[in-house]
Amino acid sequence: MADDAFTDIDGKALTLDCQSHSSFCREFTVSSPKVSIGKVMVYTCSVWLVAYAVFFFTQNTAVLSSAILITLVGMMLHIHFVKVDHESLLVIGSLGIQVSSSYASGRETTAFIEMSKIKDIVINEAIYMHQIIYYLCVLLKDPSDPNAVSSVVPLFQSSKPRLNCLVKVYKSCQEILSKC
Amino acid sequence: MGQRKKVAAMNNLSSQKVSGGPADAVRVSSRRHNICMVSDFFYPNMGGVESHIYQLSQCLIEKGHKVVIATHAYGRRKGVRYLTKGLKVYYLPLQVMYNQSTATTCFHSLPLLRCVFVRERITVVHAHSSFSAMAHDALFHAKTMGLNTVFTDHSLFGFADVSSVLTNKLLTVSLCDTNHIVCVSYTSKENTVLRAALNPEIVSVIPNAVDPTDFTPDPSHRHDDRITIVVISRLVYRKGIDLLGGIIPELCLKHPDLHFLIGGEGPKRIVLEEVREKYQLHDRVRLLGALEHKNVRGVLVQGHIFLNTSLTEAFCMAIVEGASCGLQVVSTRVGGIPEVLPEDLITLCEPNVRSLCAGLETVIARQRSGSVPSPFSIHARVQNLYTWRNVAERTEKVYDRVAGEEVLPLDRRLRRLRSHCGPVAGSIFAFVAVLDFLFLLLLQWLVPDRGMDIAVDTTGPQGQWRQETSKHGAHSKCAMKREAETKTL
Repeated sequence: MADDAFTDIDGKALTLDCQSHSSFCREFTVSSPKVSIGKVMVYTCSVWLVAYAVFFFTQNTAVLSSAILITLVGMMLHIHFVKVDHESLLVIGSLGIQVSSSYASGRETTAFIEMSKIKDIVINEAIYMHQIIYYLCVLLKDPSDPNAVSSVVPLFQSSKPRLNCLVKVYKSCQEILSKC
Repeated sequence: MGQRKKVAAMNNLSSQKVSGGPADAVRVSSRRHNICMVSDFFYPNMGGVESHIYQLSQCLIEKGHKVVIATHAYGRRKGVRYLTKGLKVYYLPLQVMYNQSTATTCFHSLPLLRCVFVRERITVVHAHSSFSAMAHDALFHAKTMGLNTVFTDHSLFGFADVSSVLTNKLLTVSLCDTNHIVCVSYTSKENTVLRAALNPEIVSVIPNAVDPTDFTPDPSHRHDDRITIVVISRLVYRKGIDLLGGIIPELCLKHPDLHFLIGGEGPKRIVLEEVREKYQLHDRVRLLGALEHKNVRGVLVQGHIFLNTSLTEAFCMAIVEGASCGLQVVSTRVGGIPEVLPEDLITLCEPNVRSLCAGLETVIARQRSGSVPSPFSIHARVQNLYTWRNVAERTEKVYDRVAGEEVLPLDRRLRRLRSHCGPVAGSIFAFVAVLDFLFLLLLQWLVPDRGMDIAVDTTGPQGQWRQETSKHGAHSKCAMKREAETKTL
């Protein structure tokens, strides 16, 4: 698919991949750029420099070894729990929506929402840190009252694409949802 | 009465100005503004400023302008909400300090307010109420960002005590480079011009309004065997509740068929309770406690006379509401009250017990002899005096004027601050203005303007709201969107 240049709310480039498996099954994948080697270097160097400064004054070698440990563990935790490589949304008409995000370490988390529970998919506004952003979310039905919304599942939570990307996903989702 | 004539003259003048050239009028009216109303006070908080902002915004939307409101978060109500006709309200998570007013550090509100101004493409920032720190912050930031500003003052201040000296200084600084100021009465204008050392030419008077359809008379709710005096105000010192405490026993002693109906809540309730206890007036003085706005009419129509004992008042909405319900109005002659109603609809007294009692006595005598005009004739006269559409039209003219003005660049702004606000305060705030400007540059570097999504217009020329509500399916989507916000945010 011919993509326009999509970015996230911080201005970093994103790619949106829309795959149409059939007329009522579509998959959207938002991929963020990989961890840049420069960023890793900066973080590692700053931790090590601080550790070396502390070592210089205390003459305690435990500081240096703990610094190595901290960088290693930190990096592992970061790629395992924080850094999301791509998030995908699989919409299958009459069946449901599958939301999955895969982390840089290869770990994947997946959640499935049945169509009977879904009320709609909408674009909403929220205040996030010191910005006001748009986000895409799934509205879940309240089991006791079919017209009420019981809760909201935000989509693309870690990549946070901008409005033009969200509108594209929203429109094709609505095409499928309106059919069933 | 000179003041009333002045009002009439002003009205004529402004209407002449518009009707002066048809081409000119068309050009002016076709101009659309993107307005952001900023105040700490908005619904769910109740009060005069809140309803003023809401009603004015609704009428401006009707005229085709785009209006958004920015206020601070109330409890769990934060984020973005939509009200009737697509009026968008930003409840920004800013820390509340005192009396629903946010803390002001001059800086911390800049990122969020900038975000609102940029994404909504605001052209005019309209701040309300001098008690609201957020309004002053917004004026300051808007100037830094190069936007035109309007400020509406809703209250009167003194000059003598320390707190008013300080607030007046702050107001001087804050209004120093505001393009236009709106006051609700001529008294309030005089007060603001003196307090903030302003050029009177940039201060307009636009009174408040009431919704006349909400306040219709209904004499069938009155008891004919008694005369009822209605008082509806917050029970605080400023509203002259101590005077009321003096009036009640004196009049009740003279007139055995006199009843008092008092709506409102506040720290001075204890004064009225003491009076009631002391003179055994439990059956004749009823304290209703806090009233919701929608219940006010139900109380007003039960009375014959409306009493207002305020000690200071910029523009008294309550007496217009009272008169609109067809009551005889008795009020103190303070602040802007003499300007509000025509002389024959109101009895003005000095703010002391004796004068108020004398005024009430004459009205009671008139009521007994039946020589008062009927409630419906009073309502018919009042209903066209103050309407929100008129307020919106006049505010629109202010926006038109402001939109054409240039915004002072930073160096001239600093010079103006220093020459206008005195060497010490001026220099301090010039320094703050420079910091604010640097902070803005930092934010523009961190989150550039083009990195922010432009918000979808709900109101204004390209407003989506009306088109969507006309289609049924889309309508339910809007409703759902609102529901979703209620749940999450």
